[in-house]
Amino acid sequence: MSANILSFIIFIPAVIAFGLMITTKHVETVRNIAFLTTTVILALVLKIYIDFEPSAGMQFVTNVPWIASYGINYYIGVDGFSLTILMMIAILIPTAYLLLWEGRTKGYWINMLLVQTGVTGTLLALDVILFYFFWEVMLLPVFLMIGIYGFGEKIFTTIKVTVYTMAGSLLMFVAILYLGVAYHNEFGIWSFQYDNLTNITILTYSEKMWLFLAFLSAFAIKIPIFPLHTWIMETYKNAPTGAVFLLSSIMAKLGVYAIVRFLIPIFPEIYIEFSTWFVFIGLFGLIYFGIAALMQDDIKRMFAYSSASHLSFIAAGIFSLNAFGINGALYLIIAHAIATGALFLLVGLIHDETGYKTIKDLGGLAKGAPIFTTIFAIMLFANVGLPGTNGFVSELLIIFGIYEFNHTLGYISALTVIIGASYMLWMFQRAILQDRVGEPLKFRDLKIKEIVGLAPWVFLVFLMGIYPDVFIDKFEPTVTHYLNDILQIGATK
Amino acid sequence: MSEMIHILPAVLILISAVGLMFMSMYEDKFSTKTYITVSSIVLVLALILAFIPFGELYSVKPYTSIFNDVVIFDTFSNFFNILLIIGTLLTLLIGEHYFQARSYFKGEFFSILMFALFGMMLLANANELVTAYIALEVASFAVYIMVGYNSEDSKRIEAIFKYLVLGSFIGAFYLLGVVLVYGATQTTNLSEIATFVSTHSNSDLALVYIGFTLILFTFLFKVAAFPFQSWVLDVYRGAPMIITAYMASTFKIAIFSFFLRAILQDLQPMIDFWDSIIYVITIFTLVFGTWLAITQNIVKRMLAASSIVHTGYLLLAFISLGQNIHSAYSTVFYLIAYLLSALGSFGIISHIISETKVRVTYDDFKGLAKERPFLAAMMTIFLFSLAGIPSTIGFIGKFYVFTEAINAGYAALAVLAIIATFVSVYYYFKLIAMMYFYPTKEECVVNDFNDKRISTYAIAFLAIITVLGGIGSAIVFFIPVLNIDTLINITQMSIQSLFLK
Repeated sequence: MSANILSFIIFIPAVIAFGLMITTKHVETVRNIAFLTTTVILALVLKIYIDFEPSAGMQFVTNVPWIASYGINYYIGVDGFSLTILMMIAILIPTAYLLLWEGRTKGYWINMLLVQTGVTGTLLALDVILFYFFWEVMLLPVFLMIGIYGFGEKIFTTIKVTVYTMAGSLLMFVAILYLGVAYHNEFGIWSFQYDNLTNITILTYSEKMWLFLAFLSAFAIKIPIFPLHTWIMETYKNAPTGAVFLLSSIMAKLGVYAIVRFLIPIFPEIYIEFSTWFVFIGLFGLIYFGIAALMQDDIKRMFAYSSASHLSFIAAGIFSLNAFGINGALYLIIAHAIATGALFLLVGLIHDETGYKTIKDLGGLAKGAPIFTTIFAIMLFANVGLPGTNGFVSELLIIFGIYEFNHTLGYISALTVIIGASYMLWMFQRAILQDRVGEPLKFRDLKIKEIVGLAPWVFLVFLMGIYPDVFIDKFEPTVTHYLNDILQIGATK
Repeated sequence: MSEMIHILPAVLILISAVGLMFMSMYEDKFSTKTYITVSSIVLVLALILAFIPFGELYSVKPYTSIFNDVVIFDTFSNFFNILLIIGTLLTLLIGEHYFQARSYFKGEFFSILMFALFGMMLLANANELVTAYIALEVASFAVYIMVGYNSEDSKRIEAIFKYLVLGSFIGAFYLLGVVLVYGATQTTNLSEIATFVSTHSNSDLALVYIGFTLILFTFLFKVAAFPFQSWVLDVYRGAPMIITAYMASTFKIAIFSFFLRAILQDLQPMIDFWDSIIYVITIFTLVFGTWLAITQNIVKRMLAASSIVHTGYLLLAFISLGQNIHSAYSTVFYLIAYLLSALGSFGIISHIISETKVRVTYDDFKGLAKERPFLAAMMTIFLFSLAGIPSTIGFIGKFYVFTEAINAGYAALAVLAIIATFVSVYYYFKLIAMMYFYPTKEECVVNDFNDKRISTYAIAFLAIITVLGGIGSAIVFFIPVLNIDTLINITQMSIQSLFLK
């Protein structure tokens, strides 16, 4: 059991999903079993979190041949980076279930389970082909979810998002194959393990640059980095709450994670060389999306832009070439996943209950729903980065990182974070606090179940804001290892 | 005796073809079901016989005094015979519903199907140009007839006429090619031609090159490569659905089997001569096929057009042969992958339209997932496989082909093929979107269907194989049998047997 614990975490949801698909038609049974599955996984992940040695590198490794003729292995493992995100996914998903509890169909829950297999697999895969496998597979349930349960022009949206992300993925696929062939030519054997691919020396500079860009295109579309963001507005607006939650708080983060996991070790010198550009693009995205968010009336679209804005900031942190920036980016991945995830779910609740989703139609929700408003405010503050919340710690770290990278860009980043605060608070004031024009809306407060679901998130927001060391200690050794060993090699070459 | 084993499957199929022909004279005595049962039993028997030498590396030319080396039996041909028999058997089983729902499928149809299979098996075994021609024509004529079944349908008449005229016309090129080759080498036996090619300098080989290029045209026509693709859409559209499935999957494999043998075993130098021709043809096949596929509104035509794109991928593997022998394995593997997914996708549609004639365009497929969720799920699997989405065998096939193409130095072509794949996601996913995201159109609602029948089980079997072939031992890595490596090893062994002398 303990040897294959990661495999269990990956595949239990899919196995349960297929089982449920065939055996029962009863929605509540499906939902309850699905929820139970996610809590079991949470328990398993907690066990890993406790057993994990921060300084020991890759752990819980399973490495068995899958397609031996091509050296493709079923190679999974967890290190400081992936553990943090794994923990995040494991906590977020069951609580999201609690908020999505009522009024869903069987297919919805089955797709939610399948996505969990996809994202966990993507996170833990260390063989690039295996990674690609999960990377594609995690998209398919979302495709179905948007198409079946979405709103508005859902079919156009779902085809668009699929085609868009597939374009990036296929470019990455070519790059993966090219790397594999290069490894084969140099060493005479096939291998697609990421740590083996880092040893390739025969690629020329321009080849590396193209491969880097091909990989990046896949990740940048998922994140999204400016200018590859055009799919997210419609998608976040038209997709059902569950899919938006998955896309924004989990899959987008996997794009960032993949940059750290694969791009940096395989192409260290390209990463260093292009870093200025990407920090710049990241900051540009932060400002651009922030201003776009200010002008939105649809709450979901506003959050879509806000999410893109934060993710651009994360990308800027990742490319800042120092421990502050990368630690901060990782920390913001978690903080942002919690805050945005909660906000999207709460907005989904508003939409389900009132039928409205534009800011001008809403208002006065605070009176009837004090607990809802409180939690909404806490998540909002975390998202904006108020001191005491986890958002503050991470944004501060990234700003330090960028400042160390380049003073001018550092000042710019420090000044532009304020944009986020303005649109968020303005929206909060108009949609929640201020009285509605016309008759007041009927809006229920959160149920006990939902409060229970959100409680750990609120707790985490403050715990991570006040004692960041508890978490940073788990992944800092990995970051240090990256900077000292991998990028050092890159710098000297 | 041991020589007997090798020829038995083909002989059995031939006897059964004749036997079924006689059976069909007593039309009212046997029902369609009987014919299906008899043919299936024969095919299973042939399959068992073919499996006896399976897994060994061998190459024999049995009964030299009778056959005079015109046929060869090796692991390669054995492997293809098995694939062809399986393809025919699955066509029969999946079509069970379709055959029974259409009154015009009388006894002689099954006899013709067996003749087609015999021709294809002979083609896989042919070691001589004239024999190959006869085998090709036996198979082709059988397919012509099957395409034109039920002449009341005007689309069908158009299809058979187009196919027959163009097919015979291109056959003339083949014969001219054979004549030229014979004129230069005084032989039509592939091994002897190979000896001639290797012992003569390029200046003596002009006629051989021209002759084989004409033969190449026949090949390109039969696999529907650019610029010989124009018949595909109309013929596939006009033919009975299940025959379209048969042509797209099994017939294509037979064609590739002979030309792979000819090129690998005997004509290695030719590949360099053809390199630039096939390069251009591959580009146009991919681009043109993709363009055709996007513009179709009728699902059957879309699948037909997409089969041109798949020919493009196969040509990509084919062209890489010159630099990289591994791409021969990838061609064979891709053929398996395509057999499964094409047979599955065409087969499901034939099963769905058995009770009713509607469900032709994309729109007609709306709401299928609500009506028949399992069929829709299986169709989705096949479409994923055709589009090369991971977790299906189509992905492994594409992985294999593209890797070997890049390894052979055709990275630019591989990128083009990837772009074609990307576009294919659009037209395949459009169908999935239709099935899942819309309510059923009123005139397409069917209530009285029975999905507990052989067709459905055959399709389900194909779907399971498609997924297992893609996942292999990934999820079930503790079960070694379901391994992609096994498949890859078999394809490798079959290619190696070509080089046994």
